Amino acid sequence: MRTRKKTETGATAGKLVQTVDRIIGTVLPQYTALVVTLVFCIVAIVGSFVMRDLQTANSSAENMYRVSVQGLLQVGEMQYFAQETRRATLYALTTNDSNLQLNYADQTRDADRQVTRAIAEYKREATLPEQLELANRLSNDWAEYLGIRDEVLASILEGSTKEAVSLDLSGGVPSFERVKQELNEVRRLYDRQASQRLANVVATSRRSALRLIGTLLFAFLLSIGAVWAIQRSRMLGAIQLAKLQMDFVASVSHELRTPVAVLSSAADNIADGLVTGKAEIQKYGQMMRNQTRQMSELVEQILLFASADERSERYIFERLTVAQILDAVQKSTKGLVEGHGFVLERRIEADLPQVLGDLPALTQCLQNLVGNAVKYGGERKWIGLTAWRAPAANRAGEEIRISVSDRGMGIERSELPHIFDPFYRSPRVVNMQIHGTGLGLSLAKRIAETMGGGLTVVSEISVGSAFTLHLPALERNEVEMRSAAPQPTSVPQR
Amino acid sequence: MGKIIQFGFGLGLAAALIAFVSWEAAHCAIPSSANPEVTTEPLAIVVNRSNTVDDLSTSELRRIFLGDRSHWPSGRRITVVMREPGEPERKCMLHDLYQMSESDLKTHFLHGLFTGEILVSPKILATAAGVRKFVFNVPGAIGYVRLSDVDNTVKVLRVNELLPDDKGYRLRVESSGVKQDAHAKEN
Repeated sequence: MRTRKKTETGATAGKLVQTVDRIIGTVLPQYTALVVTLVFCIVAIVGSFVMRDLQTANSSAENMYRVSVQGLLQVGEMQYFAQETRRATLYALTTNDSNLQLNYADQTRDADRQVTRAIAEYKREATLPEQLELANRLSNDWAEYLGIRDEVLASILEGSTKEAVSLDLSGGVPSFERVKQELNEVRRLYDRQASQRLANVVATSRRSALRLIGTLLFAFLLSIGAVWAIQRSRMLGAIQLAKLQMDFVASVSHELRTPVAVLSSAADNIADGLVTGKAEIQKYGQMMRNQTRQMSELVEQILLFASADERSERYIFERLTVAQILDAVQKSTKGLVEGHGFVLERRIEADLPQVLGDLPALTQCLQNLVGNAVKYGGERKWIGLTAWRAPAANRAGEEIRISVSDRGMGIERSELPHIFDPFYRSPRVVNMQIHGTGLGLSLAKRIAETMGGGLTVVSEISVGSAFTLHLPALERNEVEMRSAAPQPTSVPQR
Repeated sequence: MGKIIQFGFGLGLAAALIAFVSWEAAHCAIPSSANPEVTTEPLAIVVNRSNTVDDLSTSELRRIFLGDRSHWPSGRRITVVMREPGEPERKCMLHDLYQMSESDLKTHFLHGLFTGEILVSPKILATAAGVRKFVFNVPGAIGYVRLSDVDNTVKVLRVNELLPDDKGYRLRVESSGVKQDAHAKEN
């Protein structure tokens, strides 16, 4: 029971891995840069949110510091100047010199103005009901003290020291004590508010730090995921390539083995004297020649693909008529087409402009397409070779399209993106024992692109396929210019 | 003994008279028609802004400054503020209001304090700003400053229903150089 469950879990995990691999294999090879950019953008967006959060926390801390420091300074100033107000008044008691008494009067009034201003400011900035109530109480008590202080001061200046002392003791001292207590209360209130603000700032900072850690972790994991996916994609690509190469080797071996076997048995029969008579020998010779030609073609195809890049630099570009190209193709594929009992129907639109290209290369390209049509053309044994002009798909002007179509088995839609990949062979044709190397279409596409054009396909299962070679048409004036000039061969720079 | 005292008193009086005449010639305001080179400016009588009194006659003012009247109608005690001896403003007051010499004034206050007729002797202040500040700080204070020294911390009283700017206002003190000296002293 447990083993079965484990097996099921393993199967599910395997399916999951396969799905992930399929997604990675499909998406990443084409969109690696996009995925990296996406990861970067996500990290940048999340990072910007965290930065904003940090800035808010920093701003709160600054605000807290500013408010607390300013508040404490304000309270400190109030306490200091309140003491100064009282001190100067009491100092006036210590002298009989009216001029000196007036100096003290000035000092006490300067100090009381500072306190009055600070209380007004505190009242203006009060936000809590508790603060406002305290500010009002302080303001009233301070005004009351100042009233008594003025009386005391007047008595001192009048010279009634005894009266001044009596007045101060009875009214001034209790009144000033109340002010002092209220100032202490203001300080306590500030301390309490500062503590609350500090707690808020600490909480905000902690939150910001957690978010920062989370973001870093997220960015780290996302980056690891992206790197893993890219590596995995490359690995899958490498595995796929290796598989394709192995398939290719197997396919080539298979393709070679059949003619080699035929040749071997034919040679054995001849050597053993089993073949007698001129007709028999001719038959064997014909068979051996066909097998040898087949091997040669196969080897030629492989060599062509292997040296495609190198060869493309040696192409000789010349002005060609479409008929010239089609003639060459027909000539080279005549044996193949007729040998398999196919009919090739050729149609060319009148007055087609010339194209610039390498005739052998273009012939090779179309030959591959005709070869495929023969191979996959089915029972109807029909091949269409059509040429016409059309507006260029990717640039201004016109282009020449040469289409090779068949009425065969067709290609599945899902396989269309892969058929031009080197070594790719459809599982369907492999199962059907149709031999091939998976290089023909890839080679044809490379040649078409080197000629400045392209190769496209339209196909439908059981209806047929049409491969179209697109070649840039030479404009009339371009033709004239080229005609007027000497006839150099042009080698395009890749 | 009595004759000796009378003789001494007479001598003192004569000396005081001579001193007063010579001081008057030297310092007191002289009408511009008599001496066109000397300019004068009014001497304002100032009280605390809370004081309800606005106008005083010359005789009332004299009584107040002599200490004969000790309380305002509101009941608050009167405190007289004066400049130091030798200041032009004080000399002007001695001449125009007290009509006494410095020593007579001193004697008057010593006598009054001794007998209890005067409760508080005048406060002596060194500068006009000091007078202003004193009057500002003491609700019952009264003093004098040049009109140019008056600011909004004090209230100027009418004397015989005349403000210092009005024509016919009698209390006037020499301005220009004398005043500059006074200001230099204040500074």
